[in-house]
Amino acid sequence: MKVELAQLIILSAILSLLPFFVPSAYLYLIGLALVFAVIVVSWDLIVGYAGQVNLGHTTFVGLGAYTAAILQVPSRIGISLEVHPFVAIILAGIVSATIALGIGLVTLRLKGYYFSLVTAILPLVFMQKVFIWKDVFGGEEGFSIPLEKAVFSTTIEKYYFALLFMLLSVLFMLYISNSRLGLRFKAIRDSEELSEALGINVTYYKILALVISSFFAGIAGATFVNYRLTVSPDLYDVSLMLLIILSAVIGGLGSLIGPLLMGLIIYLAKNWWLTAFRFGIINEEVILYITLILVAILMPRGVYNEIRQRLRLISLFYRRT
Amino acid sequence: MRALAIIALALLLAFCISQPEGVGKREKVVIGILAPLSLPEGSAQEKAARIAVEEINARGGILGYRVELVVGDDKLDPTIGSAEFRRLATIEKADLIVGGFSSGVMLATMEVMAETKTLFLADASSPSHSAKVAENYEKYKYWFRLQNNATTFAYDIADMVKMLREHGYDVKRVYIIRDEHIWAEDVVKALKPLLESLQVEIVRDVKIPRNYAEYEPLILEAERLNANLIIPIIALAGTGDILVKQWANLKPKILIGGDLLAANDYGFFEKTGGAANYVIFTADGGTLITDPITEMGKKFVEKYKAKYGHYPEAHQAFVAYDAIHLYKIVVEEAHRNGEKDPFNPDVLVKYLERFNETNPIILTRPIAFTKNHDLAWGDNLTRNLISQWQDGKQVVVYPKNVATGELKFPPWIK
Amino acid sequence: MIEFIEFILFGAAIGGIFALIASGFSLIFGVSRILNFAHGVCFAVSAYSAIFLIKELSLDVYSASLIGVAMAVLFGLLVYAMTKPIRNNAVMVIIVTLAFALLLEQILLLVFGNRGLTLTPFVEGVQVIHENLRIAKIRLIAIPMAIAILLALDLFINRSMLGKRIQAVSQDLEASMLIGINVEKVFIVTIAISSALAGFAGILYSQIFNVYPAMILRVLIYAFAIVILGGLGSFRGSILASFMIGYVYLATMKTLGAHWSEFVMLITIVGILAIRPTGLFGVRE
Repeated sequence: MKVELAQLIILSAILSLLPFFVPSAYLYLIGLALVFAVIVVSWDLIVGYAGQVNLGHTTFVGLGAYTAAILQVPSRIGISLEVHPFVAIILAGIVSATIALGIGLVTLRLKGYYFSLVTAILPLVFMQKVFIWKDVFGGEEGFSIPLEKAVFSTTIEKYYFALLFMLLSVLFMLYISNSRLGLRFKAIRDSEELSEALGINVTYYKILALVISSFFAGIAGATFVNYRLTVSPDLYDVSLMLLIILSAVIGGLGSLIGPLLMGLIIYLAKNWWLTAFRFGIINEEVILYITLILVAILMPRGVYNEIRQRLRLISLFYRRT
Repeated sequence: MRALAIIALALLLAFCISQPEGVGKREKVVIGILAPLSLPEGSAQEKAARIAVEEINARGGILGYRVELVVGDDKLDPTIGSAEFRRLATIEKADLIVGGFSSGVMLATMEVMAETKTLFLADASSPSHSAKVAENYEKYKYWFRLQNNATTFAYDIADMVKMLREHGYDVKRVYIIRDEHIWAEDVVKALKPLLESLQVEIVRDVKIPRNYAEYEPLILEAERLNANLIIPIIALAGTGDILVKQWANLKPKILIGGDLLAANDYGFFEKTGGAANYVIFTADGGTLITDPITEMGKKFVEKYKAKYGHYPEAHQAFVAYDAIHLYKIVVEEAHRNGEKDPFNPDVLVKYLERFNETNPIILTRPIAFTKNHDLAWGDNLTRNLISQWQDGKQVVVYPKNVATGELKFPPWIK
Repeated sequence: MIEFIEFILFGAAIGGIFALIASGFSLIFGVSRILNFAHGVCFAVSAYSAIFLIKELSLDVYSASLIGVAMAVLFGLLVYAMTKPIRNNAVMVIIVTLAFALLLEQILLLVFGNRGLTLTPFVEGVQVIHENLRIAKIRLIAIPMAIAILLALDLFINRSMLGKRIQAVSQDLEASMLIGINVEKVFIVTIAISSALAGFAGILYSQIFNVYPAMILRVLIYAFAIVILGGLGSFRGSILASFMIGYVYLATMKTLGAHWSEFVMLITIVGILAIRPTGLFGVRE
């Protein structure tokens, strides 16, 4: 815990100093990357710690996003209500968590593989609501939140908000992962049968893990919306899910900080650095998908874990000689 | 490992530190194109823009500054579109942004435009865009539409109905097939009262999603409902060629006439294997691609053919071309009038507004703006010319003063 | 009455095409317990290849279709190769095949753009059945073509040696290995056949309707729904379910619109998976 905390603080410190050196155009992107990184970390919580491979994490991102967006533009459902953006964001998280509870109750009783399968389909199900109730949810092009109703309006404010958001969320998740709750998650991840035998209520903790990770996904989605001022079904998209998986798997499942860093790097890569490589049949998405396929096939445990294991072997070797 | 990652991140971020933000001296003029590049309507804008930029640079640029073109792909997604707009405006430092196609994406990018205060000469047709200018002028004034808006499509479609009647084809019942999208909503909203006043009944109004291809049942249904005319209002579905092919296959006693974007395509006749014969369509944007109405338009099409080997694949090419030339004209005008910063968007807005109904400027089409920065519509301004495919050629059949041919009926109808 | 006949015929055409896709998907799962999320790639690749060959090399539609189907088989084998090392990790297989599907979608977008493309039909023109009932000939032809292929496949699975081996592996992998069946070969043949089926479905579909990159995943949703309804691994079950889903698809498309029909499909999948997964999935864990 201490090591991770230190790394988080150093990272945050560096990030907080960036606005003094970096043009605002880039800050905008980095802020978004921070929000994305929170989504990746929350995925690590359910997958890397509790061992339940949730392939539908984007469901909760999208739910949170649309909840917040509707709350902030309530005229779309015919209510005239003034909801403060912070309230909207928290409510978004609660809605996501609640729905996660329902889904968890139904699906977490099943074997892990079925859980993954059902969750893989879930975002598509929830995405349809956007098209069916077009007038409320805006269809495939979504809708925007007027500048005045968003949480902050200048790029710098948004950036610091995103940074603070990341810091608080990750701190919270670090705390959970290092608490007794976290220990129970890891026990379940390592062996469900043994945990049952030890008297741990496996289903209860699995659902709890899902609820917590979905809460953070939900508030991240809501933050995205306040940041970009638009909401659209792309937050439910499979490609976002694959991006999350890529970041977490390469970053190293079960370490929280690894996925955090990797999430930042992958998001910035996709939306900025790799866009320079667009020619012919290559574009940034193509590069990332190929990377994901290669990583998944060659190193199913994640780059980070593989290297850590090898380093450990090397250090063992050196200690002996 | 983590330490390495942090250092790598820091190094990579240090890269942005090396990008100066400063206000420095102007070295060039940057024009951005933002459009859905995977569609012909988007790629045509980029290609047309390149021609315009080449022409301008060959003649010394704008006020002596070289013009550079930067390109963004909105992928028909408002979030991507907004991000790309922001990138073009803030990172690439574009002085002008040209582009758009989807009305939904336009709404989102207008918000970013309001934030970055970048001049935006746009395509897209929803009246909701100019409504924003009306609602909050100071915020959205940087936006000008160089394309007819959806209500004008309705005017021309209604005129088409009148024209058909003048030719002895009585239109009593129409069957509308249209995009499930805000732009088509706008057209239908404007069209309904016009049709009512002409005593025309709308027997069905079908919304189709993107890539929809099941037109046969619809055509057969239109027959059963005794419709005289199928009015397609289709631009985004992208399957206008399939509609036409299935219509020509089934040969119903129903004409097709409406805002069928695909029919504007110069290759449409060939693409549909001749099925497009007798299809009536509105030449959106005020000019036939194969037969432009102004000298500048004709020259532009020749250059396009010379450089790319074919006609412009979409009329949006004219929009982009006009936009860039218009920009040069107003910047030079501002400079002539002694403006301290002739590139300042707030200044240029005033100069653009000088082109109104009584003072249009003739580029590839007559350009004039209404109070809300819409393109002015009218007989000597820009109209969505009623045209028809006849034996492999695009022919304007209405209004009479610009017509290049007479309306023809398919053999199985008259 | 006319409308009803029209409905039956249209539904049969789409049901037949669905059956080609779904049966392949079902076969792959039955034999290797792989949920091939990239199945739609074979569907799209064959159609796009054929379209490309006709346009650029002026091939006739029959040769182009044949090569298209061959391309589909190639891609199917590629998926086989990619998933072989990770076959034990079911979740990784889902991730890899999904990534592959999206990868192809991007590449197709970049090469062909987003507009739907159509393939020249085997037969052009309209068949006039009745004054008010005219149907495109290709739609009518598609029905017997699809049925013929499915019948052939059924015969193959139930009568031929290889077909019986496929059934054996589906029922019990270890036992099959014990009695000396070359299981890898069975996997390869199954994927090849399934990809060819999907490829041919793509050819037919793009002749009647059109094809666009997003179809890769859309097709998957329908195939998945069908196969779950009909029973994963059950060839005949998935054929029956295909026609059922085909008619449901048509009915919802006509009355409620495209998005409702996808919604219905998805709810079906999720519902069945959540409520009766053990009954519908294979025996092996």
